[in-house]
Amino acid sequence: MLLALTVMLAVTAHPAPASQAPGAAALTILTRDGQRTLPLTTLANRDYVTIDELAGLFRLTAREDDLAGGMTLTYAGQTIVLTADQPVVSVAGRLVSLPAPPRRQGARWLVPVEFLPQALGLIYPERLDLRRASRLLVLGDLRVPRVVTRIQAGTTGAQVTFEITPTTTAEVTAGSGGLTVRFDADAIDLSVPTLPAQTFLLAVTAGDTPTTVRLATGPRFSTHRVTTVPADASSSRLVIELLPAITTTEPDTPAAPSASLPAPATPPLLAPAPATGVRTIVIDPGHGGEELGAQGPRGTLEKTVTLGVARRLRTLIETRLGLRVLLTRDDDRTLGLDERAALANNNRADLFISIHANAAVRAAVRGAEVYYLSLDRASREAQRIAEGPATRLPALGGGTRSIDLILWEAAQARHLEQSSVLAGLVEQALRGRVEMSPHAVQQAPFRVLVGANMPAVLVEIGYLSNGEQETALASASYQDQIAQALYDAVARFRDHVERGSTPTPGGGAPEPR
Amino acid sequence: MTLRTLVLSAVVAVAALGFGWSLFTALERWLATPPAAVADGGGEAVLGVATPGDDVARITVTLYFASADGLGLQGVEYQVPLAATPAEQARAIVEAQLRTRPAEPLLATVPEGVTLRGVYLSERGDAFVDLDGAVRTTHPGGSMYELFTIYAIVNAVTVNLPSVPAVQILIDGQEVDTLAGHVDLRRPLTRNDALIVD
Repeated sequence: MLLALTVMLAVTAHPAPASQAPGAAALTILTRDGQRTLPLTTLANRDYVTIDELAGLFRLTAREDDLAGGMTLTYAGQTIVLTADQPVVSVAGRLVSLPAPPRRQGARWLVPVEFLPQALGLIYPERLDLRRASRLLVLGDLRVPRVVTRIQAGTTGAQVTFEITPTTTAEVTAGSGGLTVRFDADAIDLSVPTLPAQTFLLAVTAGDTPTTVRLATGPRFSTHRVTTVPADASSSRLVIELLPAITTTEPDTPAAPSASLPAPATPPLLAPAPATGVRTIVIDPGHGGEELGAQGPRGTLEKTVTLGVARRLRTLIETRLGLRVLLTRDDDRTLGLDERAALANNNRADLFISIHANAAVRAAVRGAEVYYLSLDRASREAQRIAEGPATRLPALGGGTRSIDLILWEAAQARHLEQSSVLAGLVEQALRGRVEMSPHAVQQAPFRVLVGANMPAVLVEIGYLSNGEQETALASASYQDQIAQALYDAVARFRDHVERGSTPTPGGGAPEPR
Repeated sequence: MTLRTLVLSAVVAVAALGFGWSLFTALERWLATPPAAVADGGGEAVLGVATPGDDVARITVTLYFASADGLGLQGVEYQVPLAATPAEQARAIVEAQLRTRPAEPLLATVPEGVTLRGVYLSERGDAFVDLDGAVRTTHPGGSMYELFTIYAIVNAVTVNLPSVPAVQILIDGQEVDTLAGHVDLRRPLTRNDALIVD
């Protein structure tokens, strides 16, 4: 029944061969009743939707208030009020900030696509799950696992790995000209990297149905081998090896490092926790894309290690604490430092954890460290300005509304005390599992923390400049230990926030009760 | 009566001038440092624009290098040429900090080959240290390494020139976000004592 639904496969923004019409950008909306599209208008690299089309699709009543230059949207008696060029909207009386202000083009009103989960999501009865990279909006509780493709092509074979979150079974069948992978889901959120053409694999594309992926094989392909590896508690890896025509010996395929390692023991699942003071966590894997970060003597890259740990941590928190976890990047891409904090702010994250691997002047230096922001002269000045009287803005229908505008430069200053508590908890949790540096908790003016409007820490998980630590950092077992420690710290910080207790900053534990 | 007032005023004026002069001298404390207070190894480094043996007045300054265990910045005294203005003095100090390769077991924290494009002082006294792009391309990354590179320069200027409260690092004449992805360089940084070890 579920599979009979007309739902569609969404292909990500990667330059993969996509089945959708070129040029016209659209947001694909997946619902129980089928699939819809909402045309997108791209302005300054940001996707917008028109209020008219939004209102039609979601059955909203839209009313423009010419006098105040505003617009009201009503759904089931609850109202959203927006003003042109004002990035703050009122949702059922509550103020919500958007990453960009609504725009007015003649008679048309445009809102950034994030308006859907961040504003409309607060009054709409169904969950609105926006996957921006895939231009996909999932309504309600459809099963749409994220399927991230990795391709390793060698001279004697190729290997395609699908990382599937949450875990879903898949079936691989061979047909003429290639293989078809069918996932047991309502649809899949597929991401495929750019593929250099080679003799084993010509292309990886979305299949004919919403739940299939097609591997077009090349002339040297003869047979394939499928293995499924549980990556961690909530995601799994489907590894398809493409083997050449003559295989008298084992193919010398470079194995995916994580796939070949023993999977960590699956921890007992905890029941999802009730909503608390910590609901959304943003994990920031340091560097990425052209920014390699630090590099070990044997070539291990910081950007790869940090992404590995971030993914492991996401899985642990999602499955065992039932919290919403967002990664600032889920693949190897260049991402600005402001964009990282902005993602956390725009999603109203309650915690921000930036993951890095270190390098020192001297190779002997080793151990993990936790940083929270230090206030320099300039940031103290910005903080003073921010603590001034609240800004008053004209409100729709007359009068003014007092808004607590936070200067980007001072955002983190308001959370330093909680950040130091978080740093202390992270340090304690790490100390039980991995080697710590002699300066385990420190403060520094790190750029990525400055704009984070929530408790935030930067964790240096070890020194790539140390040979032994480089080996450890690249290993699945060390990355699991780090992820487990950070998970413990997040769980304890959540308890601390729930109970309202105040452990000693920079090292104290929440009082046991 | 009038004579007494005049004499009193003169005494007060002379005292005020004397006080101002000593205050200025105290700020420019390098002037008072005797050349004898040179640390070991100071003589072997080729510093500043002058060559050793020149009849150029020198002052003793503290430069910063990674300590033997690699965990902190250690100050070492060196001699640099005495400059006519605070800006020129700051330039001489930063040049020495960039060029000096310290004696074992200390290590330099600025990658080799990085050159100084200029040093400017703002009206409020902050120094702007303009490095060439090599500092970015040759930097090995890592937040600890980055902190050491930046604060060796910031500390060398602010510790030796008490009239300079903070230092902003520019790269190729431009204001930059960070050097290697961590430390916020969009604003002047004040001296960091936490990184300094004895």
